Amino acid sequence: MQDCAAVRSDMAEYWNIESGHEEAIMTFFDNRPVADVVLESEITEKDFVTSGRGSADVKNTLKRLGIGPEILRRVAVASYEAEINVAAHSNGGKMESSIFDDMIHLRFTDRGPGIANIEQAMVPGYSTADDLVREMGFGAGLGLPNIKKNSDALHIVSDYGKPTMVEIVIFY
Amino acid sequence: MVETDKKYYHAIQILSDNCTGCTACVRVCPTEAIRVRNRKATIDQNRCIDCGNCVNICQFHAIIPRSDSLELIKNFNYKVAIISSSYAGQFSEDVPYAVSKQSLLELGFDEVAEESFVTGFVIDMVRDYIRTNKHIRPIFSSNCPAVVRMIQVKFPSLLPNILHQEAPMSILTRLIREKFKTEHADFDETDLGIFLIVPCVAHVTAVHQPEGAYKHLQDGAFSMGMIYGKVKDHIKKLQNNPREIDTYEKGLTWALSGVEAEMVEDTDIRALSVNGIENVMEVLSKVEDHYLDQYDYIVLRSCTNGCVGGCLNIENPFVAMSRIKKLIKEASDPEINIDELVDLYKDGEFAVSPLAPRSIMELDKDIKNAIKKMKQINEFLTMLPGLNCSACGSPTCYALAEDIVQGKASIDDCVVLLKRHSKDD
Repeated sequence: MQDCAAVRSDMAEYWNIESGHEEAIMTFFDNRPVADVVLESEITEKDFVTSGRGSADVKNTLKRLGIGPEILRRVAVASYEAEINVAAHSNGGKMESSIFDDMIHLRFTDRGPGIANIEQAMVPGYSTADDLVREMGFGAGLGLPNIKKNSDALHIVSDYGKPTMVEIVIFY
Repeated sequence: MVETDKKYYHAIQILSDNCTGCTACVRVCPTEAIRVRNRKATIDQNRCIDCGNCVNICQFHAIIPRSDSLELIKNFNYKVAIISSSYAGQFSEDVPYAVSKQSLLELGFDEVAEESFVTGFVIDMVRDYIRTNKHIRPIFSSNCPAVVRMIQVKFPSLLPNILHQEAPMSILTRLIREKFKTEHADFDETDLGIFLIVPCVAHVTAVHQPEGAYKHLQDGAFSMGMIYGKVKDHIKKLQNNPREIDTYEKGLTWALSGVEAEMVEDTDIRALSVNGIENVMEVLSKVEDHYLDQYDYIVLRSCTNGCVGGCLNIENPFVAMSRIKKLIKEASDPEINIDELVDLYKDGEFAVSPLAPRSIMELDKDIKNAIKKMKQINEFLTMLPGLNCSACGSPTCYALAEDIVQGKASIDDCVVLLKRHSKDD
C-alpha cells in the first residue's frame, strides 16, 4: 500500500498526543507495524445512511476481543465522528482500522478538498458544513474536538485543495 | 463469562421430526443463536434471549412455544390468573372486555386480576426511580424479558441502566400474595397459585427463570393462544348473560410501548419509545456510545408496537393496538387505592438484585488468543463466497468462519464452495 499521498512537506500538519503516551506513539509511528486484524471500508460523499457502518464494525470487532465498555465508547465516538466528517466534508474516502492487542490505529484518507485551517477546525463550534449537511442534523462543529477528546493521539495532515489524512490512536 | 454448563430454561422447543433444515430461523435470530447441523435446527441455550422471532418464522411447526398446561392449576387450592394487558386486544369488538375477563373464571380460576390494575402505580414508581437515580441515564424499562436478556447477552455494560424494579405483572403478584395472607387466613400460603396469561415466550421464560427476583413470584404461565381457544366457548355463553365485574381499561396502556413512554414523560422527564428487536439493538448501541444521553427513560420492547406484537397473540399487533386504544378511550375505571402498593415499594418489596451479564461476545478470554482467532476468521472469510445464503446452517459467511475457528463447523459445510470444487474436478 502506498503510504498516504497526503504526507508531503508542503502540507499543514497537526498533532495532539495525550501526555504520558508520547514515547509509545512515536515508536508506533516510526515503525508503523502491520496489525493482524485490519478492517477497511469505503466512505461515500454525503451518504449519511451508510456512513457509520465502518465504525459500527470496529466497535463490534473490539467487543469480540473483550475490550472494556469505556474504551469501546471512546473508539466508537472517535471513529464515528471521523467517518461522518469524511462523508460530510470531503469528496469521499476510506477508513482503515488496524487492531493490535494493546491499541487501535484508525486512519481516514479522502480525495479532498482539504482543510484550509486545521487549528480553526479544532475549535469547538466552528464548522464549514453546508446546508445539506446541517439539514441532516450534522455540522455542529464538534467533530474534530470530539475526536481529540476521545483519543490518545490525533494526527491530521491537510491543506486547502489537497486530500486529508486523519489518524487516531487509542490504547486499551 | 461464558457458562456453557449452566442449564438455561427456554420457552422455545424444537420438534426435530418436523424440522426440514430450511434455515429460516437461523436468519432471523438477533443473537445468532441457531445453527442447522445435520439438517436439523439447534439452539445455543446461552445465546437465546427468547424473543420468539424463530417461532414466528417457522413454516413447519418445528419451533414451537412452550408454556404450561392448564392442568397445573389443579395443584393449588386458590388459583389466580393475571392477564397481560394485550389480552384485551385479542377479541372482536362485539365481545365486551368484562366478558373476556369473566370467562377466565369459567376455566377454574378463583380470581382474575389485570396487569392494567397496577399501571397507574407503576408510572408513579418509574418516575420516582428516574428522579432518585439521576446518576444513571438513560434508564431502560425492565418490562420486556427479551430486552433484559438481550442486554445481558450483547450489551452487558448497560445492565446498570435497567430499571431495577419488578415488571407490572410481578408487582401485582407480590400484592396478591401479601393480601392473600390477611384476606384468606384460612388458607396456607402454599395453597395460593398465581399464573400469568402471557403474550410471548419471553414472559414464559421469565416465570420459570426470573432474572434478579428476590422472592417467589408466579407458579406458571399460560400462552394467550392456548387460552384463547378455551375461553371462546365461554364467551359465547356469557355474552347473553353478562355479570357486573370491575375492569381496569385505563391501564391497558401497558400493552403499547409508545403510550407507556408518553405516560412516563413529564416536564423533567424525557422518554423515548422503541419497539422491534432490530430497533432495540440499534438504540442500545447508540446508548453505549452516549449518543442518547438526552433521554431520561427509554421504553424498549422486543415486539412490534410492544406486547400486542407478542408471538403467542392471536390478533395482528396493529389491530390489537387500535382495539386497546378504543377501550382506553371509553374507560370508566373504578377508583384504585394504591396505598398498599406504595407501602410495598417503600419496603423494597419490588426491588430486583443486580442483573448479571451472560456475555457471548468474547472470542477468547485472552486478547492475544482472541486476535489470533479473529485473524483466522478473516482468513476463512476470504475463502468463503460471501453470499450469506445460510445453506451451511450458519447465518452468514462470517458466522461460519467463526464456527470453523471455534471448532463447531468445517469449511466443507459450505455448499457453494463444494459445488464450485466439484465443477473444477
